[in-house]
Amino acid sequence: MIKKTDIELYIDKIPPTPQVIKNILHLLQHGDLVLASMEAQKDLALTAYLKNFVNKPIYGFRYKIENISQIFTALGISSIEQIIYNYMTNLLSPDEWYFFKLNKITFQNLQTELSVNWKKILNYLNIKNRNIENSITLLPACFIVTEAIFKQKKDDIIQLRSVQNIDLNTILKRLTTYNIFDISQQISKKWDMPKIIGQIVKASSGDQKNDNQKIDLLGKWMHLLLFYTLSKKQFIEAELNDFIDFNINYVSPIYDEFATLMDIK
Amino acid sequence: MRAVLKDGVAIFKPQGFLDSNNSEYFVSIDDIKATIKLEASLILVSLEKVIFFNKNGLDNFVKMFQKIAPSHNAILGFCDCDDKKYTAITQFYKNNLTFSLFNSLQTALLFSSNYKNEGKTVLLYSEDKSQRTAMAIELHNFGHNPIIAQSEKEFLEKKSNNSLYDVIIEKTFLAQVGETISTRVSGNAIIYTVSSFLDSNLDSTFNMQYHKNSLTIGFRLFIFDAYKVAAMNIHALDFFSKLSFFSAEYNATICFVGLTFNKIPPAFKETLEGSGILFYKEMDDILKNRELLDEFSKTTSNIQNKKSINKKIILELPNFIDATVSTIEMMTNTDAKKDALAINTLFVDKQDGEIASSIAFYGDIDGIIVFIFPRTIAKKACGLLLGEQTDDIYMILDTLAELVNIVAGKIKTLLAGQNIDINITLPRTYANMDDLLNIIENKKGVQVDLEFDNDKFLFFLTR
Repeated sequence: MIKKTDIELYIDKIPPTPQVIKNILHLLQHGDLVLASMEAQKDLALTAYLKNFVNKPIYGFRYKIENISQIFTALGISSIEQIIYNYMTNLLSPDEWYFFKLNKITFQNLQTELSVNWKKILNYLNIKNRNIENSITLLPACFIVTEAIFKQKKDDIIQLRSVQNIDLNTILKRLTTYNIFDISQQISKKWDMPKIIGQIVKASSGDQKNDNQKIDLLGKWMHLLLFYTLSKKQFIEAELNDFIDFNINYVSPIYDEFATLMDIK
Repeated sequence: MRAVLKDGVAIFKPQGFLDSNNSEYFVSIDDIKATIKLEASLILVSLEKVIFFNKNGLDNFVKMFQKIAPSHNAILGFCDCDDKKYTAITQFYKNNLTFSLFNSLQTALLFSSNYKNEGKTVLLYSEDKSQRTAMAIELHNFGHNPIIAQSEKEFLEKKSNNSLYDVIIEKTFLAQVGETISTRVSGNAIIYTVSSFLDSNLDSTFNMQYHKNSLTIGFRLFIFDAYKVAAMNIHALDFFSKLSFFSAEYNATICFVGLTFNKIPPAFKETLEGSGILFYKEMDDILKNRELLDEFSKTTSNIQNKKSINKKIILELPNFIDATVSTIEMMTNTDAKKDALAINTLFVDKQDGEIASSIAFYGDIDGIIVFIFPRTIAKKACGLLLGEQTDDIYMILDTLAELVNIVAGKIKTLLAGQNIDINITLPRTYANMDDLLNIIENKKGVQVDLEFDNDKFLFFLTR
């Protein structure tokens, strides 16, 4: 059904980071917000994405912001960097989703929900590290990978899962030895993302403990945030909820803090 | 979300957070309809992967139970309820607990008719005395050995020595069940569960079409699990006598297990014995007696079914082959190669280690599909379904049955796309070819020889 060579071919086909994005990230790393915003204006797709992303209600701006320089100033370096990474992930997403019931808008909603709540978590944990903040942007890439790999096999997967409760991650691992998180880590390498981003996302799969305590802790928060987000009705409808196995034992040490932070009653 | 069906048990496994905003998306009306069609004896919602829920979140599942309960004899409820979840649910529903609660899936399965799971020593405690008694009776009926702790103190003392027990039941509530006939398969026996007072309602609650199809594909042993039967009248007697005579034409055997004659006239027993029905005290007396099982399950040529393959079925052959090939390719991660196609009687070049399965379909079109596998293919499928390779023949046959179920489900979907509606029987598996050939010999059909990575596979479609 799915062979290891198919996965390797898929990874090979992932486009490298576009030059404009490389330039913007480079300028942001050096703290040059003004030049970065000017560079961003060269890419019309990126500017449209930025305007759409920033004006979602979850960001809470009272007025619609249309000017790219204003967007950069209003959000600051770390948030802009995160949106740029989200944009890169978005470049991989299909025009039409078939396996998951997603579309451009719901996928962007997923990115936004994850980004905003991840920021809340890192503020609570008092972590101020841009690479760690940006790690959340790679997580939605897992859905794109799953979509790409399983889209031709949707009916088979439905039949298989009617007799055995196996999540997609496990199916892929049993068939190819790769899991979805291994592939997303490969994407992060291809895009020259800092190593820690791939490590945190891999830890968030919840299927193996990371020896680094900090990464393991962040993996727990991200795993729980993922299922908190996937329990929202639009993502249950999109059939995202059972794409990987939720490891309750893994997240139980942090659940009470998470519930307080997210105001779950 | 659709329930996963295994051994007559349907399980929903929601993950994450369950509240009023999302619960209706976890189980829709279509999901409920699909669950009803499964005719499972146990329908469970596992809370293992649910980290947060409130009453509104559970209500949708409870509504599903209420919809299914009146017409189905299934045990319905939540499983994998730890102390916190059990306490929360019992507080939410206080005096209105119309569904069951189980501390684990393992506990819930003790109340299913899955005889792979039988004969467990079970330590049991509930604060409610009537619950203790009800559970003990049910466990006993299902072939287990319940040990009841009469107080919490006694329970804790006994529990401290937990190596003495296979399963420990606490924080569990068993609700009442309905009154229809449920069906399951154990090995190659079909088991029907009947309960309370048996009368003329049997005509409507017993699925005669299902029974006929089971005979057609080669099931020869039918057991009525009658532990919970209180009595029967002359109409039920007449029904069973006719059923036995009908089944005898296929050389099939009908048995009753656990039936007591305290309130049934002795003359009824004589009549039933006269029509060929056998009586056993315990299910183990049959299911654990391999020699007896083999003897009962021996297949003979089907003298009733003289139907032959027709154009209507042959026209649908591509759908049958597509479903078979794509499913086996998926389950074994191999590519298929078609070697030969012929319309003839089944020809098997018998090799060591081949196993087979047959499944029947009926509805707008009807027929029998036979699949003959080398063990390697079934083993590869085990790798995907179980995550491990095994040499255990019973496990391999079980996996084979699941694989055939998937194929049949896919065929049903493909045909439905062309407005052809079919129903499917449970698959029958064969550890040796002789039993299969007894059923199929002299039947003309379409034989397709396939190869999956050099492993020969045989598909045969007949009526």
